[in-house]
Amino acid sequence: MTTLVDNLFNGLALGAVYALIALGFVTIFKASGVLSFTHGSLLLLGGYLTAILHDDLGFAGALALAVLATAAVAGLLDRYVLQRIGTDPHAAHVATIATIGVDIVLVTDLSRRIGGDLLGLGDPWGDAVTDMGPATVADSRIAAIIVSAVAIAGAFALFRFTPWGLSLRAAAEDSEAAALMGVRLTRVRMLAWCLAGALAALAAVFLAAFPAPGLERTTGQIALKAFPAAILGGMASPVGALVGSLLIGLTEAFVAGYQSDLHVLGEGFGDVAPYAVMVLVLLVRPAGLFAARGAARV
Amino acid sequence: MTPRTDAPPPLQVRDVTVRFAGLTALDQVSFTVAPGTAHAVIGPNGAGKSTCFNVLSGLYRPASGSVRLGGTELTRLAPHRIAALGVARTFQNIVTTQGTVADNLMLGRHALTRAGFAASALRLPRAVREQRDHLARVREIAELTGLGALFDTPVALLSYGDRKRVELARALCLEPRVLLLDEPVAGMNAGERVRMAEVVREIRAELGLSVVLVEHDMGLVMRLADEVTVLDFGRRIAHGTPDEVRRDPEVLRAYLGTERADGEDAA
Amino acid sequence: MSDLLERGRFLLPAVLLAALPFYLDAFWLRIGLFSMAAAIGAVGLGLLSGTAGQLSLGHAFFLAVGAYGYVWLAGDSGPGLPPAVALVLAVLLAGAAGGLFSPVAGRVKGVYLGVATLALVFLGHHVLLTADSVTGGFNGSSVPPLEIGSFAFDQGDDLTVLGVPFGAEERIWYLGLALFALTWFTARGLLRGRPGRALVALRDSETAAAVMGVHVARYRSAAFVVSSMYAGLAGVLLALSFRRVVPDYFSLALSVDYLAMIVIGGLGSVAGATAGAVFVTALPLLMTRYADQLPLVAAPGSGDGSIGPTEAARYLYGAAIVVILVFAPDGLTGLARRARARIARPRPPGPAPSDPGAAPRPPATAVRAKEHTP
Repeated sequence: MTTLVDNLFNGLALGAVYALIALGFVTIFKASGVLSFTHGSLLLLGGYLTAILHDDLGFAGALALAVLATAAVAGLLDRYVLQRIGTDPHAAHVATIATIGVDIVLVTDLSRRIGGDLLGLGDPWGDAVTDMGPATVADSRIAAIIVSAVAIAGAFALFRFTPWGLSLRAAAEDSEAAALMGVRLTRVRMLAWCLAGALAALAAVFLAAFPAPGLERTTGQIALKAFPAAILGGMASPVGALVGSLLIGLTEAFVAGYQSDLHVLGEGFGDVAPYAVMVLVLLVRPAGLFAARGAARV
Repeated sequence: MTPRTDAPPPLQVRDVTVRFAGLTALDQVSFTVAPGTAHAVIGPNGAGKSTCFNVLSGLYRPASGSVRLGGTELTRLAPHRIAALGVARTFQNIVTTQGTVADNLMLGRHALTRAGFAASALRLPRAVREQRDHLARVREIAELTGLGALFDTPVALLSYGDRKRVELARALCLEPRVLLLDEPVAGMNAGERVRMAEVVREIRAELGLSVVLVEHDMGLVMRLADEVTVLDFGRRIAHGTPDEVRRDPEVLRAYLGTERADGEDAA
Repeated sequence: MSDLLERGRFLLPAVLLAALPFYLDAFWLRIGLFSMAAAIGAVGLGLLSGTAGQLSLGHAFFLAVGAYGYVWLAGDSGPGLPPAVALVLAVLLAGAAGGLFSPVAGRVKGVYLGVATLALVFLGHHVLLTADSVTGGFNGSSVPPLEIGSFAFDQGDDLTVLGVPFGAEERIWYLGLALFALTWFTARGLLRGRPGRALVALRDSETAAAVMGVHVARYRSAAFVVSSMYAGLAGVLLALSFRRVVPDYFSLALSVDYLAMIVIGGLGSVAGATAGAVFVTALPLLMTRYADQLPLVAAPGSGDGSIGPTEAARYLYGAAIVVILVFAPDGLTGLARRARARIARPRPPGPAPSDPGAAPRPPATAVRAKEHTP
């Protein structure tokens, strides 16, 4: 019974963090048609900045600066690198590959700086735990759920109530028509990247917080698990990304939690379970999940 | 390597209906293309002409109705199966692939050739021979369509009109029995239009195939078509010889109401 | 005639490459060997991602299937087949693994396949770690040397040819050269033949390909299988060169390396993939060797914060990908081709527009899914 509640909670916390990242993927995809393979390094950048700044600025100050800086880097990357490739659907595919190149450079640099270290982010939760009925839950996980929920609600409010959100939806529906109606696509997609960068930096905190030992150079790779989450949710749908993230988080937590019963799958299968789910989804609905974008008329 | 010699079977379109998300793009459309004739499908923009072509070539599956080529039902076949039956098409906006004119035309031979991955990778004698033989026929077709001098030129370097002709030639390389031409002279200047009309007439005479033509240029339609089907808002509003259609009050209303500028521009 | 010309063009490089072991020491031979192995894999990926426009980040997985397939099939823990048989079967095994993925590879297109293939790398790595009775687990296993007849491609008994002692590097060099030549021959046959044209058409317009008679899903799957087989072959050759295989080598970073090779070399050409493979493979090795003579680059392991040769190489080719995609989407070969064209004839021929500046850009060969859903 205890394990069930534990796993449920772990899964929700993990899912909430994946949702931050997946929401960024989806926002970028809607705005520009680009699949961001740079997300791992953006996340790592956010975490690294928080880690080196928290001694001087305190955790909150460091995080705020890291979020802003990562958002700025993401936005500038889009504006001055990816948009130079072009903004039509074909260019979006080339830009997707360019994000891999950017990721190589950023990850190489951050890995070099981090080295073999485990960086603490100075978060206020430490290894404190709270008794919640049958289960004992790490405070950092409760914080992950609450902060993610607030951030995601904020992002949805942006989608719904700001001119930018309206433009984003218009651009995703039909970028040509949106441009004709005066939507400034370059700005819309740049801001989408900024939002995604900010969310990724925020996610880094919870991926490095207890019970994880700290920020490692491989932490960024976790961001890739938001791809299965986004795919599960249909790639172009923010709500879908949330649902997909929770499913992926729960899958991972339960597979890890019941590992002793699943030993045939091997130790540590929980870490890769999201990818197994993705393959299963793609087997059932290979084209449909991606069908939302890129259709042009002959 | 030689053109098909048998007469093309009739192409029968019966009560074809296509819907997109509640919108009816084609509503119970019927017409028959008699063997060896040229049949034009005309109508204002958005009348459903391209949708009709996409049904014929298997890209859309109609909600109801049937398309038969001779005794074969086409609506249940995938596009590549329909191509193999000898139905070739061009596109309204040019869709060529990377490479030279020869590369593009050889793509047209895909359904008529067999060499697979293993045979091509190992350059087996039959793959090499097949490629050589078909290249010879493809060169003939290039000559026929006036592309002989451009045979080894990359398509990306060609003028708009030449690329339109590459599309036509590529379709011919399928040795089609039915040729679907989607606005073959759209965007061309007057000289190019005349040349294209000549080419289409010549290949009809020479290859004896059926042609289905979607075109805005009424002059071209009147000169080339044996029969005309007029669509408006997805419905067939008129049908007959070019002369009959020209006098049809429904047609006049459809064109004068919405498409006057286009008709004049085309003439 | 053109055949003769072509053969002549390839004869000279072939003779040069065959003569190298008599002049180069083991360090250079190893660079060459790794480059040839990488080139075989890169040609395979180029076929899939460059020609067919299907992005794959799962290439490392198929390299692993080839490498581990060979090790197990030829090794004592497996059936212990003759190594030459094991090599062929390992390549087929990699192809079969690609075939198993074809329900996804045949229907998921363009960059989206790149996301799907992430799963192969991570799941594959997990299997390599956990199936230790077959793979040797985290520590990997040693690679049985290739033997053909009584000739072994390893240190073996002393062998001297024309006064040059033939150790493992020299012997495997010729194996690598033969496999590379085979790759070159088959890949060019594919690209210039019916399958190559169909794959280019698929990339440039799925719709046009379909109405020309190309079975879309089948060709996408086939491209994936063929690409997997080249990867498997590269994996075997790498295993033989390294003499030990470990799971951590076959990571996502390796897949990304291969992608870098074909992007840098120019998508869609055999020569480009080869050039990219040499660049990406040789760069870190050369930088390691000459670290003390390079500005800004520290010797490996010389302390925190300094830029080691491996890192310097990764900065360079990461940046190269971005720069090439932004400024020259057809890569090194495209640059070379344009330079050649400019030298050969300062003006475009006949039908091109009179103003050379306005000539249409050579078609970008980057992965594209310029979809024409009617």
